[in-house]
Amino acid sequence: MSHATPPNLEEQGRWLSVLARAEAEAVKAFTEKLLPELERQGLEVLENRMGLVMLPATDTAQGTRFHVGEVLVAASRVRLGGLEGYAVCLGRDLEQTLAIAILDAALQGGWHAERVRAFVEQQAAKQSAEDARLARQIAATRVTMETF
Amino acid sequence: MAYVAARGGEAAIERAEALYRRLLGPLDPGLVKGLEQALPHLLDRVMSEGSLYAPELAALALAQTGGDLYEAVLLLRAYRTTLPRLAYALPIEPEVLFTVRRVSAAFKDIPGGQILGPTLDYSHRLLRLGGLQSDVPPTVPEPVSAENCDFEPQQVPFVADWHRQNGLMPPRPTDPTPGPAIPDLTREPLLFPAPRAQRLQALSRADTGGVLALGYANMRGYGAIHPTVNEVRLAYAEVRLQHPATGAVFSAGRVRYAQAEVLTKFRPGPDGKPTLELGFAASLGWNEVKLIAAAMLDAAMDLPEPHPAHTEEFVLSHTEPVEASGFCIHYKLPHYVTFGSDLDALRKARAQAVAEQEASRSAEVTE
Repeated sequence: MSHATPPNLEEQGRWLSVLARAEAEAVKAFTEKLLPELERQGLEVLENRMGLVMLPATDTAQGTRFHVGEVLVAASRVRLGGLEGYAVCLGRDLEQTLAIAILDAALQGGWHAERVRAFVEQQAAKQSAEDARLARQIAATRVTMETF
Repeated sequence: MAYVAARGGEAAIERAEALYRRLLGPLDPGLVKGLEQALPHLLDRVMSEGSLYAPELAALALAQTGGDLYEAVLLLRAYRTTLPRLAYALPIEPEVLFTVRRVSAAFKDIPGGQILGPTLDYSHRLLRLGGLQSDVPPTVPEPVSAENCDFEPQQVPFVADWHRQNGLMPPRPTDPTPGPAIPDLTREPLLFPAPRAQRLQALSRADTGGVLALGYANMRGYGAIHPTVNEVRLAYAEVRLQHPATGAVFSAGRVRYAQAEVLTKFRPGPDGKPTLELGFAASLGWNEVKLIAAAMLDAAMDLPEPHPAHTEEFVLSHTEPVEASGFCIHYKLPHYVTFGSDLDALRKARAQAVAEQEASRSAEVTE
């Protein structure tokens, strides 16, 4: 049964970002387990394809926006119980984006939301730990020229 | 120019490609994966010049071409034309880059400190011959402890902001142009003078060697720029998109991104007082040599009377890797009509010379 409320955009942006960065096989395996029950809500794949995203950047000298290049992505859009799930990930893995789009719709509709949120938080913690570790390794390379 | 269509030789062409593959070795997923993991800087160069961030495909392009960079770049550029553009990402905001390296040659105590990051810049350039006999044990960088770490990779200040705060440089204007309205040289021809957006896009996908050659010429004195590297920054940038149904902003992942700024001589600012001026360049991937040279060229192109080799038309037209390499190697293709015409002209000139010599000799005999 759906417990749909309009998604908090910040929260939705966070779960999509975390899932896009999560290890693809883990996301697929997790979604696979939920799929038989989610499919009962009526699952329709609207889009599942590779393509390009143009990436603009900002010139820090004169402030001009310019295109720094394109990025290869996989993108999926699904309809689950009348709600639209969407996902884009770098690379070519259409199963990964399909799995995330399904989870996006599930979270919006409140289907298995507790389990999905727990999975998202688990992945987020892993990513934060990776970032923190890298930050501390980078910090170790900071020099003062007196000791250089 | 005159070309002649050539037919025939199909079997020889097939055998030539087969021989190329045989000498190159097999193309398999293990090789591609290995290249992707072992050669990130080379991948960055192919992706930057190919103007497509796709590490797996850049590795495939390198494997397929045996490491011929221009061919690999061409494969990537050609592949991108087969795919639809699904969206424009939100612009990379410099202030929230996940910075892994940021150094400045301007002065030592820059805000945020000199962060060497992942680099071999200060290491001995000695071959580690031991790697030929046995595995070189991996070195794990020692992190600072969590309690002592005050470093925030997404809050590394910009050196230029210090100049601006101290009135040495005009404020950085903001540009509200939305993605689809930004000039795009993959869809519009490059005309001169080019919009700054196209210039920076052209530099981001320019040939590393070409940019370095022109930039180095400037450094050696064929130009009027005497640069100081204000900062070089290596970072990860989020590719931020919007959910089509709800509008939520999310990241589809991170790409390696780098940028360089060089300071040039004083210039009159908007208020008439002398100010510092910056040259700028950025690219997908981490390629510091290219970016420093490109930032210098950006500054050189802005001079009222640049050296002829540093005008915008000269720089951008001659550092386009696919056009330049393609034009160069096209000379290997049949030019039979051109050369036949040259031979005709040569024979006529020789016949004319003989006729003139004979006429001259006859005149001498008559006299």
